[in-house]
Amino acid sequence: MNCTRRNFLIGGSTTLFLSGYFPKISFASMQKKNLIIISLRGGMDGLTAVPVIGDKRLKKLRKKLILEDVLNLNSDFGLHPKLEIFHKLWQKNQAAFVHATNIPYTGRSHFDGQNLMETGAHIPYKEKTGWLGRGLLASNIIGKGLAISLPMPLLLRGVPQNNNFFPSPDFVETKLIDQIYNEFKGEHNELIKSTLDTIRQRPLSMQIATDSDDRKKLALEAAKQLKDQSGPRVAVFDLDGFDTHAAQGGVDGAHADELEEVNKIVTILHENLGQAFDNTLILTLTEFGRTIKQNGGYGTEHGYGSAILMAGGLLKKSQVYTDWPGLKKKELFEGRDLNSTIDSRAVYNSAMSICFNQDPEFLRKEVFWGDELPDLSQELFKI
Amino acid sequence: MSLNFYRRVAFGLSPNEKPDKDPLNWAINQLDIIPDLLWPGTIPTEKDLRKKYGEWVYGDREVLRKKFKNDKHAYRKAKDELRIKTGERYFELNEHAIRHFQTKYSKQPVFERFWLFWGNHFAISEKDFLAEFSTGPYQREIIRPNMVKTFEEMVQSVTTSWCMIHHLDNSESFGPNSKKGMEWGETINENHARELLELHTVSPNAGYTQEDVIQLAYIMTGWAHKWDRKNLETGDIWFDQEMHQKGDKIVLGVKYKNDAKRELAKVIHDLATHPICIKFVSTKLCRHFITDEPTDEMINPVIEAWNKSNGNLIEIHKAVITQAYKYNEITHKFHPPEIWLMQLSRMFDLNIPLSFEKMNYTFKSKPNNRQRQLSWILREIGHSPYRAKQPNGWSDLEVDWVSPELLLRRFWFSSVELPILVKSGNRSHNFILDCLKNNFEDHENMASLIENFRFGTSNYDLGQKYGVICNLPGVLKI
Repeated sequence: MNCTRRNFLIGGSTTLFLSGYFPKISFASMQKKNLIIISLRGGMDGLTAVPVIGDKRLKKLRKKLILEDVLNLNSDFGLHPKLEIFHKLWQKNQAAFVHATNIPYTGRSHFDGQNLMETGAHIPYKEKTGWLGRGLLASNIIGKGLAISLPMPLLLRGVPQNNNFFPSPDFVETKLIDQIYNEFKGEHNELIKSTLDTIRQRPLSMQIATDSDDRKKLALEAAKQLKDQSGPRVAVFDLDGFDTHAAQGGVDGAHADELEEVNKIVTILHENLGQAFDNTLILTLTEFGRTIKQNGGYGTEHGYGSAILMAGGLLKKSQVYTDWPGLKKKELFEGRDLNSTIDSRAVYNSAMSICFNQDPEFLRKEVFWGDELPDLSQELFKI
Repeated sequence: MSLNFYRRVAFGLSPNEKPDKDPLNWAINQLDIIPDLLWPGTIPTEKDLRKKYGEWVYGDREVLRKKFKNDKHAYRKAKDELRIKTGERYFELNEHAIRHFQTKYSKQPVFERFWLFWGNHFAISEKDFLAEFSTGPYQREIIRPNMVKTFEEMVQSVTTSWCMIHHLDNSESFGPNSKKGMEWGETINENHARELLELHTVSPNAGYTQEDVIQLAYIMTGWAHKWDRKNLETGDIWFDQEMHQKGDKIVLGVKYKNDAKRELAKVIHDLATHPICIKFVSTKLCRHFITDEPTDEMINPVIEAWNKSNGNLIEIHKAVITQAYKYNEITHKFHPPEIWLMQLSRMFDLNIPLSFEKMNYTFKSKPNNRQRQLSWILREIGHSPYRAKQPNGWSDLEVDWVSPELLLRRFWFSSVELPILVKSGNRSHNFILDCLKNNFEDHENMASLIENFRFGTSNYDLGQKYGVICNLPGVLKI
């Protein structure tokens, strides 16, 4: 492990911060840009997905979990072998990672953590809307959110008329939907009524019946819609199962299986978005990373810092963007977890500013209550 | 009192039930004793099913994987056969049948609603093979008998149940200074301790710290399944002194002296009687029966009943029902898909679940489609009860259950699948009108919406009628 603390914050974003931000109006910004979020629930282990290379301490603390073999990224970091699409895209400057990052939450509860990863707030359950929903609303992008899940994720709430795609095994007649719709007049039913509005405006391709267990089909439909210039601009996938308290494994094992699912989704999106992939940014969320040390069940406990996996043509270059805090005992958070040196919300805010053609300062105020979040657009994305 | 009270606290009225003169008493009188389980088919014990669980994991992990280590296809085939033989494919279906038979026919439907509530408060989420073998019997043998005891007793039973201990990994938690912890260099697993605080008792409102979680985990070390080569992780729960962290522990400022297995009962007593726990759980009860955001005014009488009765669940349940009655006309509650399905099944006497004769299983081939039907429906409407995604169980909030697809799933079920479940004697228009009259004040308006199909009895016609009436504002939400 050769990397030391890097002072990127001094050179890069601060100056931009002071000089203000003027979005360029060019042909590129007229193109529809897609932001795709994949929520990794349960606490994704950044050190398994994007392991540091040659850290003796990590090897010692994780005897049963060390990857025998990793894909090479750079001299400091490797990549889990199940994330091969990211490795492929890395060669083309279309994959990047933010490491030692998390939302500013250190409580280690899944439920509080996931709530905050979606609301972007500081106090669990206080906010009823998601940062993505608020970002869309602030950018006046309405009815362009698509969730690939049966419930509407909190992340997207806050902007009306979101859609989701997770079809039933058989058709529902339009006539029936209209008839039910006509009965929803009264008070107390606003949410159902606006959801019925959305249903009635769905494109034909979504009015199908299919096997929703097939993630491939869902990702295909998402790609199809995102490719459409008038289609959704935001898609949210949901994966769970990252909470590997036991049998976490290395190259194979419980965590590897979940990473493989991420890989599958990104592979399908990449293959099927075609040209639109150039105007797309995919990024992952998780509520926290996992402890450095393996536990009694060859798993890991809830930790703090993790990593963000990113892919897409809107990335500036392939890089592991980090202010690496180190893994020595005193460098760990509470002596046990990878620390977080980058507020993940700064990445979210910058990503929205790029994808929604919006001033990051404006979004920071509208979406994150003016919290101190440096603009990372220059470092991470094509402007 | 509106007829919707019967759906607020129960599952509506079946065709042969009539509204009671005194609905509040009707409801309150259902809470003193535990109704028998009515399912005439097999009701396996927790222990039996755990044995099956053991046969399945042992057969797969220890036998088949070694036997077929070089032949993936033969392994898969043998594994499928083992699934059938051990009932891995079957028992969850049977559990759903037991559950839905109960909510459909119970003479104490209000009690059954509380049963569903507690099973979800102390949820077992989708993990390993718990849904297949363990969650159902846990609901019947751990949750149900405790519903006439105190909340504290329920927490004690749940915390030391095989199902919860496996669910939250407590068997993998070793006191670092215990005999085995030292010998094997093992340490604690905080999962169960954290959820005992966060979900089951005091909630994060109590302001516990990471150190509190660790200290509680120390207290809980040793409560584990008894491991042996044949049963693997499915052995009985016992207290293993050699795993237990030695020394005094401090949780939420209270000191627990080194006292081996007795420490757990003491800390549970303190957690289960903590004022913040009482408020947290009372709020959840009110949320379930009254409205998504219950006010202090709604919750306080429940807290009072709790304090007055020292956490006696019968008294707490009665207070909740009294509040639900009091606020029935001025609050609204959206019901999650499974409760909606149970209500439709009871109000319209649907063929759910399949008869017990047809649920009989020979462990020789895959369960047939009819046997899988109810479980399949539950999954498709988004609410497979024993497969919550996380240990906090299923949400009780409307926002979590309203999305285009979740609504469309209900429309699909009621217009396409439900007609298949209408009994042959119940296909007349008048039958539907009677059921509506029995359960809804505005039944005349509802009837007018399906008037066009009054002469039809085909599945298609019934689909047109049920598709509409099952999804009206006053049906989705009371």
